[in-house]
Amino acid sequence: MAWLKRLFRSKEKAAKPEHKMAMTSEQADKMLRMIEHTQDEELSCDEVFKLLYIYAEMASLGEDVGELFPLVEHHLEMCPDCREEYEAVMRILEKRMD
Amino acid sequence: MIERSNEDWLTSLQSPGKAKQGALADLREIILNSLPYAISKYLHPSDPHFDPLIQEVAQETLLRVMGRLETFKGQSKFTTWVHTISVRIALTELRRARWKEVSLDELQGGIDSDDKMREMPDQDMDVEISAEQSEIMAMIQKTMMEVLTDKQRKALVAVAVQGMPIAEVADRMGSNRNALYKLLHDARLKLKSHFEEQGITPENIRSSFEK
Ligand SMILES: [Zn+2]
Repeated sequence: MAWLKRLFRSKEKAAKPEHKMAMTSEQADKMLRMIEHTQDEELSCDEVFKLLYIYAEMASLGEDVGELFPLVEHHLEMCPDCREEYEAVMRILEKRMD
Repeated sequence: MIERSNEDWLTSLQSPGKAKQGALADLREIILNSLPYAISKYLHPSDPHFDPLIQEVAQETLLRVMGRLETFKGQSKFTTWVHTISVRIALTELRRARWKEVSLDELQGGIDSDDKMREMPDQDMDVEISAEQSEIMAMIQKTMMEVLTDKQRKALVAVAVQGMPIAEVADRMGSNRNALYKLLHDARLKLKSHFEEQGITPENIRSSFEK
């Protein structure tokens, strides 16, 4: 695993001895996925909020909102708070209790 | 209840007297009837806190709606716009209650400082981790220590690893949700470009978990 070794170049302060991982591999995977999908330009929560009602209504009408609002869709993938609110609005629009 | 077009809503809400009172009463009713769809997942309708919460949220929503009517651009139903406002108020409230007891420091576990390593008691550790995986995890943590500021690392661990809401982390850091999202975005960008400089992609780190 050359790429991994490469990370340990530089002034190697002897990697920490084994200790219990504070991260499960699932959590690490989730974080890496977020890093992987990070874009230079992303909308902030406030910017998304101003578009969310349009986005949600179009989604409930079956429009391809990912195509129409790619930056909103991206933010919803990265931001758990906005995602949760979007899903809650969708439950209202679709009258689903879940 | 009268069926109202967007224009009807706006006109009545901005007119004095009876028309406005009627519209406000109807809007309150709509909010009260809709919120259960949004929040019953988090708080059961039979919970004694349920009714007081939706009453309070409805009240707060009406105030905000009246305070920013001019920001409604009309590209959806008026009520959909109102729902995004009530949902934001309700979920912010619910998150606060759900995370009330959790401090940022106890979330940091072993990731944070060297000596204060604590095991996460409630974490499911019975999944076996191979030597290679644990080496990778150590590498990720080391990278986070080196590349990120304290604040960025704390926020990223709390949100991305521990699943704490951004708004809750923001509260504890004396910040707000919008600013904290930007801080996290910067942190992710830094890690991304650090990995790129090392010639690795998060993707090929992840693939080693799948073995
Ligand atoms: Zn957000």
